[in-house]
Amino acid sequence: MRPFRLILVAGIMVLCIVLLSSCKGRSSDRGDGSSDPDISSRDGFVIRYCPKWQPQAQFAGIYMAINKGLYAQYGLDVQVQELMQASDAIDSVSEGSLDVVPLDLLAAIIANSEKTRLVNIGQISQKNTMLLVAKKSKQINSLADFEGKRIGIWRSSSNLITKAFLKEQGISMQFVTIDWSINLFLQGGVDVINAMRYNEYHQMLQAGLKKEELFIADLHELGCRIPDEGLYVKPEFYQEHPKQCKAFMQATKDGWLYAFSHPEETVDVVMDLMHAAKIRANRAHQIWMLNEMKKNVMPSAAEIGILKKEDYQRALNLLKAEMDFPRDIAFEEFYPNGAK
Amino acid sequence: MLIIFIVAIFVTRSIYSKVMLDIQLSNMQHLAHERIYLIDGILSKVEALAKIARSVAVDHDLSDTEKEIMLRSLLLDNPEVHSLCTAAKASDGVPPKVMYTIRHRFLQREIQGQDYLYQDWYQIPHNTGKPYWTEPWIDSQGKGEMVISYSMPLYQKGDITGFLRFDIELKYLQELTTNPDHFKLGSSFLVSSTGTLVAHRDLDLVMNQSLFSLAQEYNDPLLSSLGEAMIAGESGYIKIDGKSPFKNSWVYYQNIMSNRWSVGVSIEESVLMEDVNLILLIQTFTSILIFLLVGIAIYARALSVSRPLKKLAKAADRIGAGDFDAEIPLSDKSQEIVTLSLSFSAMQKSLKEYIQNLRITTEEKNQIRGDVIYASEIQTKLVPTNVEHPLEIKELRAYGILKPAGDIGGDLYDYFMIDDDHFCFVIADVLGKGIVAAMAMTMVSTLLLSIAPYYKSSKELLWELNKFLSRNNIESNFVTALLGVIQLSSGRLEYSNCGHLPLYIRKMDRSFVKYGQTHSTALGVFENLEIGSDIIQLNTGDEIILYTDGVTEAMNIEEEFMGLKGLEEIIQGLPMPNPENTAKSILNKVQDFARGSTHKDDITLLVIDYKHPGIT
Repeated sequence: MRPFRLILVAGIMVLCIVLLSSCKGRSSDRGDGSSDPDISSRDGFVIRYCPKWQPQAQFAGIYMAINKGLYAQYGLDVQVQELMQASDAIDSVSEGSLDVVPLDLLAAIIANSEKTRLVNIGQISQKNTMLLVAKKSKQINSLADFEGKRIGIWRSSSNLITKAFLKEQGISMQFVTIDWSINLFLQGGVDVINAMRYNEYHQMLQAGLKKEELFIADLHELGCRIPDEGLYVKPEFYQEHPKQCKAFMQATKDGWLYAFSHPEETVDVVMDLMHAAKIRANRAHQIWMLNEMKKNVMPSAAEIGILKKEDYQRALNLLKAEMDFPRDIAFEEFYPNGAK
Repeated sequence: MLIIFIVAIFVTRSIYSKVMLDIQLSNMQHLAHERIYLIDGILSKVEALAKIARSVAVDHDLSDTEKEIMLRSLLLDNPEVHSLCTAAKASDGVPPKVMYTIRHRFLQREIQGQDYLYQDWYQIPHNTGKPYWTEPWIDSQGKGEMVISYSMPLYQKGDITGFLRFDIELKYLQELTTNPDHFKLGSSFLVSSTGTLVAHRDLDLVMNQSLFSLAQEYNDPLLSSLGEAMIAGESGYIKIDGKSPFKNSWVYYQNIMSNRWSVGVSIEESVLMEDVNLILLIQTFTSILIFLLVGIAIYARALSVSRPLKKLAKAADRIGAGDFDAEIPLSDKSQEIVTLSLSFSAMQKSLKEYIQNLRITTEEKNQIRGDVIYASEIQTKLVPTNVEHPLEIKELRAYGILKPAGDIGGDLYDYFMIDDDHFCFVIADVLGKGIVAAMAMTMVSTLLLSIAPYYKSSKELLWELNKFLSRNNIESNFVTALLGVIQLSSGRLEYSNCGHLPLYIRKMDRSFVKYGQTHSTALGVFENLEIGSDIIQLNTGDEIILYTDGVTEAMNIEEEFMGLKGLEEIIQGLPMPNPENTAKSILNKVQDFARGSTHKDDITLLVIDYKHPGIT
C-alpha cells in the first residue's frame, strides 16, 4: 500500500511540476479569469507559496486544500515553492518572486519596522504555542528556577517571543542558540529549551522523557498571548488582487476544516509528503501535531483565520517595550481585512 | 481416555514451550552479545583512533602538514572510518575541514556557512565539554550519507580549542546489526540513546520510529517499558503482545557500552513455538495412530472372544432346553475361552449324569409312591364302607371318616359283628405316620377281626391286641385305642379306653356325656398290661362320638389347639343327630378351624347311634 501511495504522490508531483512549468509563461498574466469558479487549477490565478518548514501536520490545512482541489475551486493555482529561510522569503516577497509567505506575528511586525513590507491576509494560529521545558531532575520546578540557567532558543526570529517573555518576567538566562534538534537538551547541554507544544515537546515524549519528569512553562497560559503563524503578502499584491487574497485565505481555512474533520486521511497525506521528502516520519507524532494544531487554529469555530486586534496590539506593545520598535503601525494597515 | 490424552498434550506443550523458550532466550542472548561485540568493537576502535588523532592534533611539535598527513593515513588505514572532520573554535574564523575517501582517493573540503555550529556533533560537546556519540544524521557537507559521529572536544589549558569528529556510516552499523539475520535465532535491531530504531529488518521503521512512538501509535505501554529499559542501559527479556511490529514476540535487550545504544533481539513466538508445535503435531498424530491401532486390536480381540462365547451361549441354551448331547464348540483362539469350554463340557457331563441319576431316583420314587397309593387303597378298603345300616344291623347307624394327612395314615376305625347280638367297634391311633404306622394299623385291624369271635369282652380283646403288639416288637408299636362291644338286644355297652381320647355320648335332647376314664396306658409298650372296662347302658337315640387326636390337636392360624373344649362346643352346636351329618359337621368345623394352618394330622371320626327313633 505504502510504496504504491508513494509512487502515486511522486507521480502527481512530477505531473504538477510539468504542468506548472508549462503555464509559467502565463503566470504574470493575472487576468480576470480568476473570478470564474469553474476554472481548473492550471488555468487559475497563480499564487506562489513558500512553506515555512518541511512537510508536517503543522501545515495540514494548506496540504488538504491542495489535495482536495479547494484552491482550484476558488480559481487559484497555488504553487508550492522550495523551502527557504524566513528573511530570504520576505525578500522574495518584496522582490515579487514569491506571493505568500507564512510568518510568526512578531517576525512580520519586525519586518515592517522600517516601512510596511507585508500585510496579513489571514491569521492561521490563534495561540502562542511556545513552551519552555526543563527537566525536573535539574532542580527546576518553577519559572523562578530558570534564573541563571542555560536555555536553548532557536536561531531564527522565532526566538523573539521567548526572549521577550523572559525579559517581561524579569528572568535572566544564558542563551544557547540551537537549531531544530532537541538532542542538546536531552544530553543536558542546556537546562531549558524552547519547544512547540505540537512538535518538539512531543518529540521529547517520543525520546523516552515522561510528562511528569518535565517542568513546562506554557507561554500562552502565562499571559504571553501572541499568536504564531499568519499568511502575508506585499501590500501592492493585496491592493491589486484583494479577491484572490481572500479566496486564498478562504480555501486555506476550508483546507483546515477538512483536515480537522478527516484526521486519518489528513495524516495519510502528510505522511506521504514526508516520505516523499525523505524525512523522518512517524504517524503517532503527526496525529499529535494535527490534534494540537486544531486547538491552535480553531479554538472556536468563530475564530478561524482572523487576526484579533488585541492580539496584534499585544504583539506590537511587546516589541515596543522590549526592542525599541521605531514606529507605530495601525492595525488596519497591518491587517487590511480588519478595516472592513 | 480422551481427557487424559488432551491433558497429556497440554502438559507436554507447556513443558516443551518452557524448555524451548529457555533455549531460545539463551540463543537470543548469544546473538545479542555477538552483535554488541561487533558494534562495540567498531565504536571502541573509533574512540581509540580519536584519542590518537587528538594527541596528533594537540602536538605542537608537528606542523599542520604533518598533522594532516597523519590524519589522512589514519583515515586510509581504517575503512570503518567513513570520514573525519577537524573544526577549530568558531571564534577562530577558520572553517572546519572534512576528510573522506572515495574509491581510495583522499578528498578534503571546507565546511561552508555557519550551520555546523548548530549541529549536534559540534554543539553538544561544545556545551557539555565531553566527547559525544551523535544520533544518526546526514553529513550533507561530507559524503552526504547518514552517519553517526564520535565528536571529541580538544582542550588547551582547560579551554576548548577545537573538535575532532569521526564518522561511521550508519549503513555499516545497520548491516552489522541485521546481517546475517538468523531467522530461527531471532532478528536483531539497534536502538539509539533516544529510543530511535536505528537498525531493524523493517526498513519503514528505521529512523522514523522510536520505541516510544511505536508505543503511542499502537497504544502499547510495554513498548514504552522496553524503550525505557533500553535507553537506561539495562538488559533483560520482555514479551510484547499488542499489534505493533513487535507483536507476539520475545525481546532480549542489552546495551552497548561505548555510546549507550542498545541491541535488541526479537523473535516471534510462533517461530519460537514452531518446533514445539511440530513435535506436538507428531506426538498427537502418533498418539491417534496408537489409539486407533489399540482400538482395532481390542475390537478384534473382543470379536475373537465374543464369537466362541456366542456359540457357547447357544450350546448352553440347547443344554438348558434339555439337549444334553448338544456339542460344545471348542475354540483354540483364547486360553480363557478354551478353559471356559472345557468347564462347560465338564458341567454338561455332570449334568447329564445327574439327570440320569435323577431319572432313576424319580422312577424309584414313583414306584414307591405307587406302592403307597396302593397301600392307601388297601387301608381305605380295610375300613368299612359307609352305608346307612352297617352290616345290615337294624338297631344301629354308623358313619366313619378316615382322612390321612398324607397318602396313608396311622389312624384306624372299624366295626364288625362278633356274633348276632354283639357289635364291636374300635378307634385307634398308631403313634407316627406314614407307611410304618399304616402297617401297624393294618395289623391291629386284621388281628382284631381274627380274634374277635373268641372274646366278647372289650378288655380281653385289647389285652390280646397289646400282647401281640408288644411281642411283635415293630418300630411303631405305641397304639392308643378305644374299643367297645354293644349288646344290640339290651343296649349294654362295654368299652375300654387304652390311652385314647374321651368318648362322648350325645343324647336325644342334644346334651352330651363325656367319658374320659382310661382303662390303661397305650398299647404295645408293656406286655402284661392290666386293662379294665366300663359298662354304659345305651338309651334310645344315644349317639357315640369317637375321634382321634387329629380333631383335638387341630391347630388354627394362631397356633391354638382346638382341644376337647373346642370339640365340645362343636358337639353342643350340632343339629339333630344322624351319624353322617354329625361326622361331616365335626370334620367341616375342624377343617374350618384349621384353615390356613400348615399343621396336618390324620383326622378320623366314627359316629354310631343306637336305636334312634329316626331309624327305619
